[in-house]
Amino acid sequence: MVETSNTESTLIEREQKLAADLKSRFGDVLEITIKSKRIKIKVKSERLLDIANYINNELGFDHSTSVSGVDYPNSKEFEVVYHLSTYGREDFRDIVIAFSTRISRDEPKTLSLINIWPSVEYSERETFEMFGIIFEGHPKLEKLLLPEDWNDIPPLRKDFKPPGR
Amino acid sequence: MSKIQTFSSFVKRLIIIIVGLLITLTLLFSLLAYFVPSVKELQDILLSSFGNPSLMLNYLDQKGLGLNSLFFKVVVFPGFTWAALIAAEIIWFERKFLAKMQMRVGPLYAGKIAGLLQPIADVIKLVFKEIIAPSSSDKWFFLSIPIIITSIAAALLAVLPVSEGWIIMRSDVSVLIIFALVGFVPIAVLLGGWASNSKYPFIGALRGLHQMIAFEIPMLISTLGVVLLTGTLDLVNIVYAQSNIWFILLMPIGAFVFFTCMIIELERIPFDLPEAESEIASGYLTEYTSMAFGNLQLGVYIRFYAMAGVFTTMFLGGWYGPQILPNGFEIANQVIWFTIKTLLVMILAIVLRGVNPRVRIDLLLRMGWSSLLILSFVNLFLVILILQTELSQIFGV
Amino acid sequence: MSKLSLSVGPQHPGSGHMRIILTLSGDYIIEAIPDPGYVHRGEEKLAEYRNYIQNIPHLERPVVLDATGAIFPYVLAVEDLMNIIVPERAQFIRVIMAELNRIISHLYYMAIYGIFMGHSTMFMWPVGDREVFIDLANTIAGQRVTYAFLVPGGVRNDMPEKVKEQADKACNYFEKRLIEYEHIFMNNPLFEKRTKGVGILPKQDAIRLGVVGPTLRASGIKSDVRKDDTYSIYNQLDFEIPVSNACDSWSRAWIHMEEMRQSMSIIKQCLKRIPTGPVKLNLKQIKVPPGESYSRVEAARGSLSYYLISDGGKVPYRVRIMTPSFRNLITIPYIMKGVMLADMPPTYWGIDYWPVEADR
Repeated sequence: MVETSNTESTLIEREQKLAADLKSRFGDVLEITIKSKRIKIKVKSERLLDIANYINNELGFDHSTSVSGVDYPNSKEFEVVYHLSTYGREDFRDIVIAFSTRISRDEPKTLSLINIWPSVEYSERETFEMFGIIFEGHPKLEKLLLPEDWNDIPPLRKDFKPPGR
Repeated sequence: MSKIQTFSSFVKRLIIIIVGLLITLTLLFSLLAYFVPSVKELQDILLSSFGNPSLMLNYLDQKGLGLNSLFFKVVVFPGFTWAALIAAEIIWFERKFLAKMQMRVGPLYAGKIAGLLQPIADVIKLVFKEIIAPSSSDKWFFLSIPIIITSIAAALLAVLPVSEGWIIMRSDVSVLIIFALVGFVPIAVLLGGWASNSKYPFIGALRGLHQMIAFEIPMLISTLGVVLLTGTLDLVNIVYAQSNIWFILLMPIGAFVFFTCMIIELERIPFDLPEAESEIASGYLTEYTSMAFGNLQLGVYIRFYAMAGVFTTMFLGGWYGPQILPNGFEIANQVIWFTIKTLLVMILAIVLRGVNPRVRIDLLLRMGWSSLLILSFVNLFLVILILQTELSQIFGV
Repeated sequence: MSKLSLSVGPQHPGSGHMRIILTLSGDYIIEAIPDPGYVHRGEEKLAEYRNYIQNIPHLERPVVLDATGAIFPYVLAVEDLMNIIVPERAQFIRVIMAELNRIISHLYYMAIYGIFMGHSTMFMWPVGDREVFIDLANTIAGQRVTYAFLVPGGVRNDMPEKVKEQADKACNYFEKRLIEYEHIFMNNPLFEKRTKGVGILPKQDAIRLGVVGPTLRASGIKSDVRKDDTYSIYNQLDFEIPVSNACDSWSRAWIHMEEMRQSMSIIKQCLKRIPTGPVKLNLKQIKVPPGESYSRVEAARGSLSYYLISDGGKVPYRVRIMTPSFRNLITIPYIMKGVMLADMPPTYWGIDYWPVEADR
């Protein structure tokens, strides 16, 4: 919950420091938005692995809590959002970084971050089957939740209408 | 049965039906001809016995079906019907007792008082279901295993002395007979699991085999203690030897080992590994349905009663007990005491069921091959000690 | 020793609504591959076609045992986007319901743990005692299992007066029962032999794989969302986080028992300090401005989080639910190696895996 008081500046001090650190290392490849305890980093897909490595090793965000895909049919893009959190760094335990990249909707391909954060294994599989996004480097990109004989378009895309709607 | 596709299979089916009918009808008529020579004699007997039932009893005695005949002993008491009734009611008692331990009520509706007829209701339900044999299984073995296991269990009843005169077959080697029959059960379990041709029964049957074979040896050695002490293999003589003191007081370790092995051989919870429901989905019983399953369960509970009876005979003094009925009813008194002691042994086994989780196979086998074996040998040494010193005179053995 | 491939499938008394494909060598498991997806209902897609209030009943269905823990992050996310503050009394009631659900879910955990070990008494006693707490939840929220009680802006109705007395009775009764559970179930030598040292998940693996909930705390990491990323009024309450360094199945069960104790203490504290006041903001309509929000909560099984994207319309644009069972699913291949077949159901249930929640 966001408290609207004048202590807001001290509340987001750590987040601002983290943002400044990242911006100084990687410059214009990133776009950072800050809220209390939540940082959103938008990355261009070329430097994805480098920035992910830096966040994992240097900043200490050692696991990913979820991988989401979001469908923006108007701008013909998918957005893949990794939420990262940490157990090792106890002073950052309440911060969650949303680490996202935009990829094209017609050729949805991105690199898999499984070698950096092994916890994304099943989430990336789920995003693959729900959106059709291919994660290159993932060892077993198959259907996880959908039935094996699913022959329609990936269901979480906006142009898939559930029956009856 | 396969569908009739060609004329030759039709002819085959017809021949089987005709031959079957001929054999059945011949057997039936010969039975009737032996027991009922003429319709007139039967009419006379039925009419006259309305006022005088002893006439009917005399008639049955003549035909070899009377109260002292082998037929009565095998079929009614202390044979199959008696054991089946005890098995059915011990099922009811087990469920009620466990329910009380588990803060619930148990069977309540079938039979007006406290669900007494619940096991009978279960059997009737099982009869109405369909007997399914999986298509890839070995049908003859698959369907004959329940009958084999129940027959073995019932055969155990033949040497059980319920009271001084009521024993179906008195033999010099009854202890050996019991262990021979008990030793055949693992083979039958393995055949049942193998004949089902499916993975879970296979795993269950292997577990059953390991478990039962491992625990026959401590059971035999503790029985050896009893046999050494009395010098005979005859169960009736073993009971006579306990007229002064019960053997459970002379060899408590042996009784403990025998009781533990008995529960394990019977596959009772917490040792029901071959049919562990949550791990291997009913083990070697998985593919059995309807009356095949009912038959197996009946066999299990009759074996339970039989082995509890053996324990009572060997360690708890058989039919000896203070005279609680008026004089003239000694045999009834003995029967009552035997039944009470057997029921107490079964109740102890039921209490164990509510308290423990299931044992794992490696823990079980380790216990069987090391701890129980050592304990049974210790028991043997103690018995030899009793025999060699004057203690045997003190105890009047 | 030749290998046997066994499918502990959906039609198995010890598997739940999912399948694990095992490769056995003798009696030991050498490989375990989970196969979830048998109860997938498309919750995330359904949520995009219903407005913010209509979403509440169906979003709490996957996590059926811990309904408050399932819907708590959702209402927190919506309130975060709408930038509203919930009245104090409503926050206390929410915390009472959340802790009550934690106890209810943990009792079900103990019950099924028992039945997987073949211990029918360990199934009957917790399920019987659970009725006491379900009755209490019935008094507060009006339903036994899934409540639709939390709404954005507060809770739906006020608690009746008799809740305090009923809760005191329930907590006193159950505290005595917990001691009995420890003696009879947890300290049973057979139970200990079968669960101690089984299903080991070392600390480094737990961090790397991102596990949550009691599984995490059994591996020696003292982390709980109620303390780390505190929400609602948990910073005013006094409770502890049980942690164990043993990393095995027994310590996971032990942590569940200790958490039940802490939950009862929290409920008592809340009932003592609860203020009077309104329980709901009188919102004429739920109008959520565009934005994104990520909120998480310590549900009974672990950290449950929602990623909510709104584009200003009547229905959410994207609802991403991340349940603790789905996050713990990744441990199944690791903890099953070397476990015997008989210990497979208790081990996988020990990480508190609920298939319906993992599939959504």
